[in-house]
Amino acid sequence: MASLKSLKIKIHSYKKTGTVTKAMQAVSAVKMRKAQERALSGRAYAATSLSILQRLSGTSDVKRHALLQTKTGKTCFVIITSDKGLAGSLNSAVIRKAEAEILRLNLNKGDVVIIGVGRRGAEYFASRGYEVKMKFENVADGVSEEEMRMVTDKVLNWHEEGEISTCIVAYTNFISTFEQEPVVRQIVPIAPEMFSLLVKNIRPAKGKYSPIPVEEKISAPSVYTIEPDADSVLRILLPKLLNIAVFHAHIESKASEHSARMVAMKSATDKANEMASTYTRTFNKVRQAAITREVSEITSGIEAMK
Amino acid sequence: MQKTFHLVISSVGETYFDGQAVSATLPGSDGELTVLPNHEPFVTALKNGTITVRLPAGETKTFKTENGILEFSGNRAVVLL
Repeated sequence: MASLKSLKIKIHSYKKTGTVTKAMQAVSAVKMRKAQERALSGRAYAATSLSILQRLSGTSDVKRHALLQTKTGKTCFVIITSDKGLAGSLNSAVIRKAEAEILRLNLNKGDVVIIGVGRRGAEYFASRGYEVKMKFENVADGVSEEEMRMVTDKVLNWHEEGEISTCIVAYTNFISTFEQEPVVRQIVPIAPEMFSLLVKNIRPAKGKYSPIPVEEKISAPSVYTIEPDADSVLRILLPKLLNIAVFHAHIESKASEHSARMVAMKSATDKANEMASTYTRTFNKVRQAAITREVSEITSGIEAMK
Repeated sequence: MQKTFHLVISSVGETYFDGQAVSATLPGSDGELTVLPNHEPFVTALKNGTITVRLPAGETKTFKTENGILEFSGNRAVVLL
């Protein structure tokens, strides 16, 4: 049986691990809440831009706009993962989903360009011979709009130059603290239906932020003046919509990351506590055995002396 | 009572203004324009410049804009920055 000293060391290290994972759990919980709040703050914005697009979509100019048309060229994947691990199957789920999409679309490695947001995804695809054109690491939890605009601008640029035809975002959708779902979504060419789905999904299905206030419903007036013309409004509006899509994908991923990590850390804490108590029990048994042995040695010594 | 309209000025991640306003002067792509309550529904592109908002209390507030869009419908104006 193990020595008392080695058991003591083990118990101590399990307890310490438990303390660390518990702290990480608490940190993730706070970060998760912040990310959720941020996801909601952009909702009114997204809803308004969508309603403008819907109203404009009746005019013929919309259909002629380049961003709404299919071209030939490479496919760009924006892979949104976390920089750090310890978040369960979060990152691998996104990567698997993206790979499945590449297979489904029957694309060769040469037809795909990757924009990696978060280290995990970028590293994975880079090591498998995909062309990683852009990489973002250490993206703050707040997710600055400028950083996301860099992604959007690049995508728009490539699309304009004819380098890419399609852009797909792979990220994790936040459903609830215990449930996250990896999704792939095509953002270029722009499909209005996709965006209405996106706006609807901004709010998590369950929890504090789930009910949708009535005032946010989109109302469409019958008469509508567009100044100076639909084309120039669209030129500004469509990149904004794209920006929203990327931004929200990111925010959702952040909320998912933190909740996945929180859950992972919770089970790690539970396991550490369980191990510590198992070893404490062994420790007590070993100690008691040693005492019993000593006592019986003493008493048998006394008996022999009689 | 003074007539007002609901004005929201927001960017993707942040809302800069959300409340009642008496009027707002914006840099439209065809020149400066001022919107008042009960304006007809319209959408316009904005140039770079400043937005001046007059509040019911008599104060004014200014915001910077870059490539924005203004939408007015149902006595509610939304500026997307």
